[in-house]
Amino acid sequence: MASNATSYKDLTPAAALDKKTLNKMVWRSCQLQASFNYERMQAAGWLWGILPGLQKIHTNKEDLSLSMEHNLEFFNTHPFLVTFVMGIVLSLEQQKADINTIRSVRVAAMGPLGGIGDALFWFALVPITAGITCNMAIEGSLAGPILYFVICFGVEMALRYFLMYWSYNLGTSAIGALTKNAKEFTRAASMLGVFVVGALTCNYGAINLGMTIPNGEKPIVVQDLLNGVLPAALSLAVTLLCYWLIKKKNWSATKCILMLLVLGVVGCAFGIWAGDYTALVSVPWHA
Amino acid sequence: MQVVLLAIVTFIFAIDQFSLTEILYRPIIACPIIGLILGNPQVGLVVGGTYELMMVGNMPVGGAQPPNAVLGGVVGTVLAVTAKLPVDQALGLAVPFALFGQYAVTLTFTIMSGLMAKADKAAEEANPAGITQVNLISMCILGALFAVMAVLAYTGGQAMGETLDSFSKQFSWLMGGLGAAGGMMRNVGFAILLKIMLSNDLWGIYLAGFAAAAVLGNVDATAGAALILVAFIGVAIAVNDFTLNLKIKENAGNGGVSDGI
Repeated sequence: MASNATSYKDLTPAAALDKKTLNKMVWRSCQLQASFNYERMQAAGWLWGILPGLQKIHTNKEDLSLSMEHNLEFFNTHPFLVTFVMGIVLSLEQQKADINTIRSVRVAAMGPLGGIGDALFWFALVPITAGITCNMAIEGSLAGPILYFVICFGVEMALRYFLMYWSYNLGTSAIGALTKNAKEFTRAASMLGVFVVGALTCNYGAINLGMTIPNGEKPIVVQDLLNGVLPAALSLAVTLLCYWLIKKKNWSATKCILMLLVLGVVGCAFGIWAGDYTALVSVPWHA
Repeated sequence: MQVVLLAIVTFIFAIDQFSLTEILYRPIIACPIIGLILGNPQVGLVVGGTYELMMVGNMPVGGAQPPNAVLGGVVGTVLAVTAKLPVDQALGLAVPFALFGQYAVTLTFTIMSGLMAKADKAAEEANPAGITQVNLISMCILGALFAVMAVLAYTGGQAMGETLDSFSKQFSWLMGGLGAAGGMMRNVGFAILLKIMLSNDLWGIYLAGFAAAAVLGNVDATAGAALILVAFIGVAIAVNDFTLNLKIKENAGNGGVSDGI
């Protein structure tokens, strides 16, 4: 688990990353979701992607370990736009910025990209390309799938390259001014980071009750009642519960995960959580 | 021989739906390849084109899991080529398999939450190879589950689809439970971030972020861009704090002279 150090041992800025390493990380960024999981989502794929850079930047083992640890925390962004976050984070790592600053910038940058990426790809590029190429395929032309691949993959890789270089240079040029007022910057970045985590708690919230209480014509949907009190209330509650268990009771993340696993399965056996399933025990509130 | 090839390409497509190119697995490309293996690329093209158009409305948007495109396409092509079913019917019969594909994904995502401890250990030891291993293990689990499903479809055909259908109805609570637990696990990730980032004076900021997303995410016009808009507000707050603190620092440097009126 993350140690408590907030700054690197070796604070001399590392040399700028060469093109070869940056290109390698662009290709590695494709594996962002290789070990996607419910707890930290893309964390391990993210770390694997920037590892070549981190190994160049942190030449002593303790700093590399510190950097790897904090880069293994919850991470989720749009897979095709991830190099934008990579470039900024790498420029901060290279300057040996305060770890809290790097973490906050990472969290603040990853959140908004999801919406942009979805709009760009799944609502624009893919439907348009599919519209053109699917009919070619249905008519039996091999050009259909080939064209589809060339267009989609071409745009994807071009974006990955462009964003990596653009954001790395942007981060490197902006950082000098910020390190002069490092303490103030760290605080401001933490505020932004915490603000975004608050937004993620609501926006990524995926805990819904599936109970409906029969009531003649108008059955009572329990989740709707709860939304009337506070939307995403359960997501906030579970986050705070885990926060309390981890911070005050020294629970490990794994222990929390196991608890939630039991909670999820037992809940569905009794038809408590929302979802398209048949409860194990027949209960009046779950069809 | 066909079976081996089928298993291998399904293994690759299963991984591709989340990593690699994230394009190859799309039905329009995957189905013709499966068709080619089974000796009829023409049928594969038709299945692929048809299924791709169906899937356009079923994108992996915002991290939600749509009915699985890989198994739907692979099994649909297998049924269309080997059982010579019409395309629409083959795709319909592939639905139970697609559902199982979703289960396989849910299962892998759950198991991998447990394996994060292994990744933590690798990080502690500053061991990059350990991270590579974690990623490889995950990809292999996912690929293997999918390859098995494809082989089952190839050998069992329609009958296997019916068996799967009744099995998935019987155990839907277990899979529902894994899914529900999956929805909660990301909150552990948030809790860990908070443990590190949240100083006592920032609780209000955390709740403000929650409130901003609750409002913007529930208005149709802004729901899609909710997190971008939240970031705008967050940047405003952070920049304001930054400039304010800079001024305070500068004034403190003047020994408080500029404090008076």
